[in-house]
Amino acid sequence: MTPTHIALSVLLAPLASAALITLLLGRRGGLASAVSVVAALFIACGALWLAFGGDRFTASWEWLRFGSFAVALGIKLDDLAALMLSIVGVVGLCVHVFSLGYMRDDAARARYFGGLSVFMFSMIGIVLADNLFMMFIFWELVGFSSYFLINHWRELASASDAAKKAFIVNRVGDFGFLLGIILCYWANGTVSLSELGAGHVVYSRLIPLLLFCGAIGKSAQLPLQVWLPDAMEGPTPVSALIHAATMVAAGIYMLCRIDVLMVPQARTVIAWVGTLTALYAAMCAITQRDIKKVLAYSTISQLGYMVAAFGLGSVGAAMFHLTTHAFFKALLFLGSGSVILGCHHEQDIFRMGGLRSRMPVTFWTFTIAVAAIIGMPGLAGFFSKDAILVLAFENNRAVFSVLAFTAILTAFYMIRLWKIVFLGEPAGEPARHAHEGGISLTAPLVLLAALSAVGGYWRAYPRAFDGVFSQIPEAGGATHAIVLATSLVVLVAGAGTALAYYATDGGDTLERRSPGAFRFLGALRSSFDTGYDFYVAEVQQRAALVLNFIDVVGLSGIVVRGLAGATEMFGFGIRALHTGRLSTYVYWFLGGVVVLWAFAAGVL
Amino acid sequence: MTPSLDAYVMLSSALFAIGFLGVLVRRNTLVIFMCLELMLVAATLALVAFSRFNGTEDGDVFVFFILTVAAAEVAVGLAIIVALFRLRQTIQVDRLNSMRH
Repeated sequence: MTPTHIALSVLLAPLASAALITLLLGRRGGLASAVSVVAALFIACGALWLAFGGDRFTASWEWLRFGSFAVALGIKLDDLAALMLSIVGVVGLCVHVFSLGYMRDDAARARYFGGLSVFMFSMIGIVLADNLFMMFIFWELVGFSSYFLINHWRELASASDAAKKAFIVNRVGDFGFLLGIILCYWANGTVSLSELGAGHVVYSRLIPLLLFCGAIGKSAQLPLQVWLPDAMEGPTPVSALIHAATMVAAGIYMLCRIDVLMVPQARTVIAWVGTLTALYAAMCAITQRDIKKVLAYSTISQLGYMVAAFGLGSVGAAMFHLTTHAFFKALLFLGSGSVILGCHHEQDIFRMGGLRSRMPVTFWTFTIAVAAIIGMPGLAGFFSKDAILVLAFENNRAVFSVLAFTAILTAFYMIRLWKIVFLGEPAGEPARHAHEGGISLTAPLVLLAALSAVGGYWRAYPRAFDGVFSQIPEAGGATHAIVLATSLVVLVAGAGTALAYYATDGGDTLERRSPGAFRFLGALRSSFDTGYDFYVAEVQQRAALVLNFIDVVGLSGIVVRGLAGATEMFGFGIRALHTGRLSTYVYWFLGGVVVLWAFAAGVL
Repeated sequence: MTPSLDAYVMLSSALFAIGFLGVLVRRNTLVIFMCLELMLVAATLALVAFSRFNGTEDGDVFVFFILTVAAAEVAVGLAIIVALFRLRQTIQVDRLNSMRH
């Protein structure tokens, strides 16, 4: 088996699994889940084999050809792709195993696992794609999988609405993405990533920014971040896989792929979009009651960090943070899934509490994840966030200060969450009777906790990912000390304040003690949705009515029915010739003879 | 005195014109048929006159053909008219206008 074959089978295994489930196993939940988990295991093993086997290659097959324009499908396996593939494989496997336990009592289990397999296929397609057209095809497929999975409990109107919102908002971003791809093809004559990387590229400010639009949509950056919190309507393992670790990271991955097209002005815009997103989302997270919504805003914020890191110039830092984030965010989501299941589908954190003693495995793994995300020294998140702060300190002090402040907020809301959910006393009956789930729930948590703990020691990774990790910024002397000090101050300030301020009972302390601040943050959060609502209801609806008028009156009426009417009038005229009287026809004979005679006589 | 060629040809044209006018104007289908025959005969007359005055027999031979064709045509035509009468109980052409739009 050549590496190409292995890569192809890694790509096609989940497709086969999805096809099998859809065609044959629609009612057989148990068998469907087994098939899907086996496919996920195969993918994980294949991905790690490819990554650590060391083979790096590209392969391409021509698919469509229109004269001189050809669309190819191909695989580009370099260090970046190998890293992303490993993350997708490992986290995907953890989520699949977790789903075995989490979705055990769900009636539509087969459909769920089919959706998970379709998602894995689409995501691996994005990772392995060697040109932008192919990436776009799988990009849209991933969007569809997200829609399908958010909409899993389709009897709920909120789930359907959230799925539609996710897809439509993504579509807006994808419009920019497509324009960027077309412009890139027009300017460079190719959209193949290898050819762009090797050859002379036409630099423009517009192309990378348009391509970035795709990342804005997919990775939930400002102003298209509105779909991600609503996407929490889907089952929690879906949130862990798609909306935390992999799909939303696809935007970052795509940015890293098109690194060669970047110009400084575009990078600045990208850096600021990321930074502001990080700040905005962190502020929104502080007032959330739903455990998954806190994590959703946290994801948006961390994605902002990654985007900012890329904008500041380092693919390495962005991918490093993506890797560590995948581990600890998936762990946070799966942990919250365990908590939700343990409290019998309760998601309000103010009805939880005291789970530390009742769900010990979940507690300890969740704690490790929280420590990682807030930047506890030694754990994964510390190193990756540090790298980004070093990068910001050296390139753009304004971005550095905003990101540092956001880190305070990150620590603040994560410790708030951790304290209210796990410490104190249970606030409701379900929390009192909470218990740990089975091995299929706890094993992935432990594995991800281990990765969150040691994942930051990137020098320990085998040589496999050198192409990416060698680009992580290293700080010398004074910079290193300043950034380290900042990280520690930020950590202590944020975490300490939250620990001291929030009481574990009586509802949200912030709401009680400073309702003004609480309301302000709430308004901040809903401002985008309100804005979009207004736009759609007023502006877009009016434009739609105008177009509808043109369509009904102009096109259907004047053009279509008008032409039909004109033809009908012509028909009336011709019909008048059919009098049915013999003499009329004989007169026509006479007329014809006269004309012929005129021709013959030379008169006509 | 023998009539000149012109006289024969004029007679032939006159007969033809009368026949044509009859087809145009008359309402009885049988009369229209008679007028058709008149047109045929007029043409035959012209042919015979020319053959007589040119001294050949070509025109004379034509007579047989024309009269044979006329007879066959009349047979078919009358059969159609009889069938039509049986269907529509009329042979007035202005009432036989079911082909009107």
